[in-house]
Amino acid sequence: MIQVENLVFQYPGNDEPTLKGLDFSIAKGDIFGFLGPSGAGKSTAQKVLYKILEGYKGQVNIDGKNLSEWNNSYFERIGVGFELPNHYLKLTGKENLELFAAFYPSGEKQNNAQLFEMVDLQDAMDKPVETYSKGMKMRLNFIRAIQHDPDILFFDEPTTGLDPVNARKIKQHILDLKNRGKTIFVTTHSMETADGICDRVSFIVDGKLVLTDTPRNLKSIYGKEAVTVELKNGQSEEFPLKDLGVNPKFLDFIKQDEVKRIHTLEATLEEVFIRVTGKSLGDE
Amino acid sequence: MKKLLKLAFTDFKLIFRDPSLRSFLVLPVILFVLIIWGVPPLIEKYDFLFPYLSLFLVVGVIENTQMFCFINTMVLIDEKESDVAKVYGVVPLSKMEYVFSRFLLPYLFTVVLNLILLFVQTICDISTASALLISFLAALVVPVYALAINSLVQNRMQGMVYVKAFNMLVLIPLAAFFVPEKFVHWFGVFPTHWVFQAIDRATQNLSIGVFAAIGFVFFLALLWLVSRIFVRKHFV
Repeated sequence: MIQVENLVFQYPGNDEPTLKGLDFSIAKGDIFGFLGPSGAGKSTAQKVLYKILEGYKGQVNIDGKNLSEWNNSYFERIGVGFELPNHYLKLTGKENLELFAAFYPSGEKQNNAQLFEMVDLQDAMDKPVETYSKGMKMRLNFIRAIQHDPDILFFDEPTTGLDPVNARKIKQHILDLKNRGKTIFVTTHSMETADGICDRVSFIVDGKLVLTDTPRNLKSIYGKEAVTVELKNGQSEEFPLKDLGVNPKFLDFIKQDEVKRIHTLEATLEEVFIRVTGKSLGDE
Repeated sequence: MKKLLKLAFTDFKLIFRDPSLRSFLVLPVILFVLIIWGVPPLIEKYDFLFPYLSLFLVVGVIENTQMFCFINTMVLIDEKESDVAKVYGVVPLSKMEYVFSRFLLPYLFTVVLNLILLFVQTICDISTASALLISFLAALVVPVYALAINSLVQNRMQGMVYVKAFNMLVLIPLAAFFVPEKFVHWFGVFPTHWVFQAIDRATQNLSIGVFAAIGFVFFLALLWLVSRIFVRKHFV
C-alpha cells in the first residue's frame, strides 16, 4: 500500500536533513508505527506522506503510484489525525465536522451522530468547541479524520491529551479500523500505544530508522526468556521459561514459602528502544 | 461549487460569532453617513475644500475596502494560529479553490458597497460605467491585502502590526494629489495609485479606461504572486 525508499527531507533554512534516507513499507490493513523521541522526524515523515511537505528526495509510492502523480483524489483516500487539536473554536463540534465533510463526495461519509457517540461526544456536539477540554478536542480530531471513511489513515500521537479511559477507547477504535482493512500509519512516543496497536514498529532517531520489526519480536529478542520468582520470605530467584513446569529447582523453590510474585523478563518496547538507540523516548 | 459556498458562508458565521470582527461590519455604515450627510455641508461651509472633492470619494472608496481587508486578514491569521489551516491542506480542495472561496464573497460584497457609495454620494457625478470599473478594481485590494499579510505573519500580534503598515501603504498614493503634475505617477508603484487616479478622472468626467486597465493588470499580477506565496506557507 505504502512504499518509501530512501526518503530525504530538509526544511528550508536547516543545515541538515530532518529525514536521512528512510526505507519502509506498510501493507494494506496493517498498523505501522514510528516510535521515537520528539524531534526525531516522525511527524515530518507523515507530512511528506500526506503531501503537506514538498521538495523531498527519494521514492514514495502509494498503491503503486508515485505520490507526486496523485492529484486531489488522494485526499479523498486519506484521513489525518493531527497531533494537536485544530478546530474553529467559535463553531460547534458538529459544524466543524460538517464543514470539512463538505469537501468529500457525499456517498462516503459516515453518520455524524454515530461518530460523536463513538467518542462519547454526543452531548457536546452542538456546543462551541471553545468550551471543549483538550481531550474532547482530540476526540473531535479523531472523528474528523475518519468521517469520510478513508483507506489510509495517519495518526500523529493519537492518544496525546487523553485520559487513560479515552486513550484505551481510541486505541480500540484504531484496531477496529484495521479490522475493516484500513491501512494505518501512527507516530508516537508512547511505548504503550505502539505496543498495544502496531503490527510493526520502526524506531526513528535523528531522522534515521534504526530498527523495524513487530513489537512481539522486539520484546522477545531483546528480553530474556525467563521468570523471576519472589517469595514472601524475601527470597528471589530467576528460572528459564523452557521446561519451567518440570524444572526441579523451580518446583523446590516455590515450595519453600508462599509466592509473592512472578515476573516474566520480557523487555518492554521502551527498554528495547533504549538498548537499541541509546536514547530514551522522552529525549528531546 | 457547493463546497466553495460552504466555506464562504462559514466565514460569515465566524465573523458574526467573533465580537471583535463583528464590530467592523458597521464601518461602511459610518462611512456612508459621513460621505452622504457629513461631506456636503462641510464643502458648503468651507470653499477651499472644493478642489479636493475627489479626495473625499477616494478615501470613501478605499476605506470601504478596509472592512473586509481587516476581517479576512484576521480570519486567516486565526486559522493559521489555531492550526485549522493544516486541515485544509489535507482535504480534496485545491489550494486555488480555497483562495477563491475565501475571497469570492468578501470581494463581491466590497464591489457592491463601493457601487452603493458611488451611486448614493452627492459630491460628484460619476457615470455608471466608471462606477462599475472603479468598484471592481478597488475591491481587489481585499484579497491582495489579506493574502499579503498572511504570507508574512505567524500570529495575531504580528498581524496587527502589519495591518497598521498596510493601511499606510494603501493610503500613500494620496500624496500624488499634492505633488507637481510631473511627479504624480511616481506613486504608480503602489497599486492603489491607479484606483485613486481613476476615481479622480471619473469625478472630472474623463475616461478612466487606461488607468483602470493598468490597475487591473497590476492588482491581478500582485494577486497571482501573493496567492502563490500564501499557498506555500499557509497549510504547513
